[in-house]
Amino acid sequence: MGKADGSDRQVTTGPVDDTGAHILHVDMDAFYASVEVLDHPEYAGKPLIVGHATGRSVVSSASYEARRFGVRSAMPVAQALRLCPDAITVGPRMERYAELSRQVMQIFQRATPLVEPVSIDEAFLDVAGARKLLGSPAQVAARVRQWVREETGLPCSVGVAGTKFVAKLASGRAKPDGLLVVPVSETLGFLHPLPVGALWGVGPSTQSTLANLGLRTVADLAATPVEVLERRLGAGGRRLWELANGIDVRPVETQRVEKSIGHEQTFEHDVTDASTLRRELLRMSQQAAHRLRSAGAVGRTISLKLRYSDFRTISRSRTIGEPTAVGKRIYEEVAGLLGEAWRPGDRVRLIGVRVEQLEPDARSPLLWDPDEDWRDAERAVDDVSAKFGPGVVAPASLLGTRPRQVGESDHYRDRG
Amino acid sequence: MRFQANRDVLSDAVSFAVKLLPQRTTLPILSGVLIRSTDSGISLASFDYEVSAQTEIAAEVQEPGVILVSGRLLADIVSKLPNAPVQFATDEGKISVDCGSAHFTLLSMPVEEYPTLPSVDQPAGLVPGDAFAEAVAQVGVAASRDDVTPVITGVQLEIADNVLSLVATDRYRVAVREIDWDGSAGVTEATALVPARTLQEIGRTLGHASTIQVAIQNNDDRELIAFTADQKTVTSLLIKGNFPPVKRLFPESVDHYAVLNTGDLIEATRRVQIVLEREAALRFSFSSEGLTLEAIGSEQAQASESIDALLTGQDTVVSLKPQFLLDGLSSVHSEFVRISFTKTDNPNKPGPVLITSQTSREQAGSDNYKYLLQPNLLLR
Repeated sequence: MGKADGSDRQVTTGPVDDTGAHILHVDMDAFYASVEVLDHPEYAGKPLIVGHATGRSVVSSASYEARRFGVRSAMPVAQALRLCPDAITVGPRMERYAELSRQVMQIFQRATPLVEPVSIDEAFLDVAGARKLLGSPAQVAARVRQWVREETGLPCSVGVAGTKFVAKLASGRAKPDGLLVVPVSETLGFLHPLPVGALWGVGPSTQSTLANLGLRTVADLAATPVEVLERRLGAGGRRLWELANGIDVRPVETQRVEKSIGHEQTFEHDVTDASTLRRELLRMSQQAAHRLRSAGAVGRTISLKLRYSDFRTISRSRTIGEPTAVGKRIYEEVAGLLGEAWRPGDRVRLIGVRVEQLEPDARSPLLWDPDEDWRDAERAVDDVSAKFGPGVVAPASLLGTRPRQVGESDHYRDRG
Repeated sequence: MRFQANRDVLSDAVSFAVKLLPQRTTLPILSGVLIRSTDSGISLASFDYEVSAQTEIAAEVQEPGVILVSGRLLADIVSKLPNAPVQFATDEGKISVDCGSAHFTLLSMPVEEYPTLPSVDQPAGLVPGDAFAEAVAQVGVAASRDDVTPVITGVQLEIADNVLSLVATDRYRVAVREIDWDGSAGVTEATALVPARTLQEIGRTLGHASTIQVAIQNNDDRELIAFTADQKTVTSLLIKGNFPPVKRLFPESVDHYAVLNTGDLIEATRRVQIVLEREAALRFSFSSEGLTLEAIGSEQAQASESIDALLTGQDTVVSLKPQFLLDGLSSVHSEFVRISFTKTDNPNKPGPVLITSQTSREQAGSDNYKYLLQPNLLLR
């Protein structure tokens, strides 16, 4: 886990023993910002912030020049500009980033078919089978970096290790534009000095639980009997202990099983009227349902997230009898939850819809199904959208009423 | 209090009283059996606010009184007692149980805290015990077990015109059975939605009686139903909510059907489904040649089998979940079975199939049992 400005950068230069270190984690450096520099060479070498310069927008990405001033992703743009007043700000162009992301992922495919995209700008690669064709893992990593640089003009960093978890830590340490190999024999030496917060799944609450046990570094954790951790942290305790001891058996998976699908929406101005919130819920329910249908999935638990002006955040969920991918149904459930949670005078800053407990849509049809007509209608809308573009057909209540918004995010979350 | 009872009679009464107790209860007191001795005998009762079981037996009562003891413990003890009269007595906050040379001392639970048992005083109707037990078993199989949708975890009882109809569904299938209802005591029209699990237990427990009394009444806003036979009464709160109007899913008449030997079809379905993957469906092709069952879809294995079938109407293919079909076939209780093919307006959805009994190849059954099953979409 490197400092985000690259100040503790560590890279591999000479030959190292990469035997068994067949997992690569490739992470594009300041991806959105790098794409902007690529398309606007005049920005090169200057502090650059990707994000809207108005209202409550947050930083989507920042160039390393801006990071040196303390600018970080997810920081409000206003704060970033106070830290770095000379920074250039540009609005995000998601389509362009997605286009380059596809190009980069295709390059990874050349190295190995075992590519697990983690997000728009990072992926795990298992290169155990590439030895004859392309060489040892460190050689493959260098080759991938070279291909990406030559064919897209973008910098990336690669971590090479025996497990996914260590590879990800290594790529973070190698940033920007570096390569770090962690030989299998040195895995524990690499891990143990790190703070416990560097481990996957250790958030502030787990961190404080561990601190109460006197456990601050990964080495502390590794030396603690696994039973003690299990008692304090439940099943997650064993996983942490394994990670601390360099054990991470998760393979590189080319097909990710999504555990939930959701959308959320931050308003530029706090919303106090329920009809606006319901309209946003309808829009996000439709989006979530569309994504469920494209993934051939249905979901059984529907949840609402509300963040109030004082940042108090609640989430409420309902489980329904039959899993669904119908936007109307998702909306009805989530609007019902809003009705239960909503009090006149509430000031809402963020609202979100999430569908959980996903499963493949392979159930037997029902004798009678109140969602049937809506399902057919929404499938027809999918077909129309596929042909004429999204948004051609939409619920009438969503036409021309969309409020201004800032941080909108589509997120797939893997809780596995 | 103090009484003496026959060991077998007592054992039967205790096991009845504890049978409907929940496995786990949040209130320990509800795991008890309440025993009341009066001049006329003793009564035993259990109650968990949802379901109550009450029974009376003869006993030689020396001193009237009320005690509350752990139900399962008492049931275990009584079932293992030697064959001799059983003597109960309270003794300084404990309860002593003596039988032959065996002696037990049990903790006495606080009777004052026990909830008031529901009393049944409304006029009741009568159903034949055997038909009721059979109907509950035939219909209960189709009830949903998913507590997310409480309404369809119940069996809907509908009384009208001297007929009691029992209906259950889990939205994949619907089962309906009609039996005689004797409403001469005053109940000629009523509906009640009873938890299927409770009703199935009632069918097993009271089904041996020649007739069962059924009463529906309102106690403090909550409706309950009571079943009484042989000095035994079970009450259950009704499930709130409207049962879906599933009876209208049944077609008036169907002229497109096949008649098969029930046992042959059950055997063949059980065999061919072995190679199916979980949740997968079997393909049933009906033609003038007979029926062919096919299990496809697994890479590991395929299977098929052909059996006799007498088809009326055109050749047809349906895809059915084997367990759903077997549940229907096992419930028709007749040597032959009729599978009818219905039509729907929705071109994307096959029509449901209807399973009814058939006393011979030619003669339809007269037992008023119907089982409607939604087929899967035909793939390939």
